[in-house]
Amino acid sequence: MDTKRLTRLALLTAAALILFTVEAQLPPPVPIPGVKLGLANIVTVYVLFRYGARDALLVLLTRVLLGGMFAGSAVTLLFSLGGGLLCWLVTLPLRKLLTEKQLWVCGVLGAMAHDLGQMAVCVAVYGTAAVLVYLPALLLAGMATGLFTGLAAQGLLMKARGGF
Amino acid sequence: MLKTRTWIILLAAAAILLAAATCYTLSARRESAVAQVVLDGVVLREIDLSRVAEAYSFTVETPDGGRNVVSVEPGRIRVSDADCPDQTCVRQGWLSDQASPIVCAPHGLVISLKGAADADAATR
Repeated sequence: MDTKRLTRLALLTAAALILFTVEAQLPPPVPIPGVKLGLANIVTVYVLFRYGARDALLVLLTRVLLGGMFAGSAVTLLFSLGGGLLCWLVTLPLRKLLTEKQLWVCGVLGAMAHDLGQMAVCVAVYGTAAVLVYLPALLLAGMATGLFTGLAAQGLLMKARGGF
Repeated sequence: MLKTRTWIILLAAAAILLAAATCYTLSARRESAVAQVVLDGVVLREIDLSRVAEAYSFTVETPDGGRNVVSVEPGRIRVSDADCPDQTCVRQGWLSDQASPIVCAPHGLVISLKGAADADAATR
């Protein structure tokens, strides 16, 4: 890995980590467990489209691990990991399916995949299917927040075409 | 490549379906009045809310030092205080007959009413 790429990935990871940590301090928008804005996803989507799947995975994993240590518990780290990995897997083929102006779709589908992965980990960890009641509500909220973060990533990609 | 309009129609249709499903699941009710307090998959307590005569509360502590205060009144249960960062469990309020459980995600705590199917399994 050359120095330029290493520095760039470190910078982007730091940016994602800041978004993640700041968001963890804000009260959740609605009292439905698991609903959050997912601002750090802006960085994941941006890196995926600009630098490719491998770099996106590196930034994602580093951010999830450090984010869990800074602003979470062991349980929430597992949720982020399950959600993040499924999100990455689902958005992987989208890179070839979407044009630059359709990047927001990646945000929406990625957020929904994140919810599914998080819910799977949740059922496994809690050992109860009672939480599945929240799945439709989570997916719906994921569509809204994913649209927001997807549009943000799209704007970033268009603006930052020159550098970074 | 799908057209942008196709994506919008597909996703809007999904959103409408999910909105309907959300209304249905969040308004779903449970017959049973037996609440289960589960921490990390282990059932800590089972409380028959219909047999609670007097209000009381107890504290649940997680292995890594988290704390939730659970309050029980005749017919209902809630998390009245917690030291988790997001406070969602406290804001969810009372659980009396909803199918949707109280969840404290950072602490791995779930309080749910046992479903009819669970009750059957218990009596069998």
